[in-house]
Amino acid sequence: MKKNGSNKSKKLTIEIIKVVVLFCFGLIMMGPFIWMVSVSFERMANIQPPFPPRLFPKEFSFFNYEIILENGSLLKAYFNSFVVALGSVALNIFSALLAGYAFSKGVFKGKKLLFVVILATMMIPGEITLIPMYMMFNKVGLLNTFYPIIFPSLLFGFGIILTKQYFDKLPNSLREAAQIDGASEVRIFTKIFLPLTGPISATLIILSFMRSWNSFIWPMIVLSDQKLQTVPIYLASFSMEDGTRYAGLTMGLATASILPVIIVFLFLQKYIIQSVALSGLKGE
Amino acid sequence: MKKKNKNTQLVWYLFLLPSFLGLALFMAYPVMESFRLSFFRSNGTIEKWAGIDNYIYVFKNAGFWQAVRNTFYIGFFQLLISIPLGFIIASIINQMKWFKNFFKVIFFIPYVTSIVAAAMVFLYVLHPDMGLLNTLLSSLGLPTSTWLADSTTARWGVIILSVWHQLGFIIIISLANLQAIPNDIYESSSIDGANRFKQWWFITIPNMTGTFAFFVVMGWIGALKRFSETYILGGLQGSPGRSLYTIVGFIYERGFGGNEFGVASAAAYILFAIILIFTIFNLKISKMNKAN
Repeated sequence: MKKNGSNKSKKLTIEIIKVVVLFCFGLIMMGPFIWMVSVSFERMANIQPPFPPRLFPKEFSFFNYEIILENGSLLKAYFNSFVVALGSVALNIFSALLAGYAFSKGVFKGKKLLFVVILATMMIPGEITLIPMYMMFNKVGLLNTFYPIIFPSLLFGFGIILTKQYFDKLPNSLREAAQIDGASEVRIFTKIFLPLTGPISATLIILSFMRSWNSFIWPMIVLSDQKLQTVPIYLASFSMEDGTRYAGLTMGLATASILPVIIVFLFLQKYIIQSVALSGLKGE
Repeated sequence: MKKKNKNTQLVWYLFLLPSFLGLALFMAYPVMESFRLSFFRSNGTIEKWAGIDNYIYVFKNAGFWQAVRNTFYIGFFQLLISIPLGFIIASIINQMKWFKNFFKVIFFIPYVTSIVAAAMVFLYVLHPDMGLLNTLLSSLGLPTSTWLADSTTARWGVIILSVWHQLGFIIIISLANLQAIPNDIYESSSIDGANRFKQWWFITIPNMTGTFAFFVVMGWIGALKRFSETYILGGLQGSPGRSLYTIVGFIYERGFGGNEFGVASAAAYILFAIILIFTIFNLKISKMNKAN
């Protein structure tokens, strides 16, 4: 009896040690974020962050954000990023839902081969396509527009795999009744299956939005016009007219730039974490 | 009857049309065009057949080898640190009673934020005098570093940033796969008197080899394509002293900085070949491990 009791308290101690150790680690992980937000609220115009680093701003103010908003470029970049994200997300889920459905429920020649082709596209580094795509869009006069960034979203390999897995779990009996009634495949898809795609569509929208919002190299290549800059490009190119960077402004911009993704993530973290975990399970 | 069958088949191709249109225009065509371009001297308008000159040029270029060395160096240490560290943290979270979800979210947040914003913040985190990291190190009595101010330590700055950014991914996937290990193996071993640590060492780790192989393969693919963070921290030249110049940095600089599209395409194909060889090599090794 006594042994049982000491065992229990030993277990509790181990549990507390775990929490403390992970909490310290977690603090290190969050450290850069906390510092970023803190510096962004410092009332300061000097180039470097305050030293020594502090958790809370000495003189709390919205000064940096006022300058950022007054300048207006960030709002423009926000608008651009949202336009690009909206187009990319729409194309992503449109093509991924259709293809995923066909690969799951369809019966047609070459299904396996075509699916392998989709899988193979995910192995090819996108960097290899940068130059030809740049030349291609240059030839048709679409550089410095959002089309080169949005159009390639037609191909969303990971999305196709996710939707295929999702449709695989939906019973075939749903189709059979409608087939007996003579409904066409398109009708079966739009009337029966599409309304059931809520959860997977939500996942696709989130993943696709985050990908679009964070993408950097391709938009930077395509959009040389400053008015068209998306948020990461604006952030990367940001400096004062004489080339200096102010820590407070940079941190404010960085905070503002990740805000949409953080908000989406905090609200929908369960789905995001699940879908990422799923991407690793298939590695088994 | 047969004709009707053909018609119903056609519908399915219609479902695939958008995706394969995207594949043809934005994957298949550019991949082939890039291959063709790699044999030409091209600035985008004027093209001249060059044979394998571009490849020879790239192979003889000291800057390219510097880029290869940097890319491999950063990738190697990033994976060496992030995979074991992430796995250990995941193992701890997996056995916790409370705060499980809280820690999952905390560790995962860096992964969802943009690497560009993270790198902008790390410009200051890694600042030699006023940076967060050196302040933390010196307050713990540990030696500080010049980080990005010096070419020998700049790569380690990027390694720290990328481990920080990638750790959540390792943790989340480790957690999912830890939960996929059947419980009865643990139960029977604890009847045999194995303690927690022995179980972890002799059961959990061998059962995770597939997951580790996945991390190594995916990790190398990602590491070989590194660009954004080194570009933010080191600019087009990969400063200081080209220590942050990566393979994609070379492609970007030659292609879009210098309009040498042929050279850049050849470098892109060399990168593709490196990734392919690495992936096959890693898969082979992990299969061998599994067979054992």
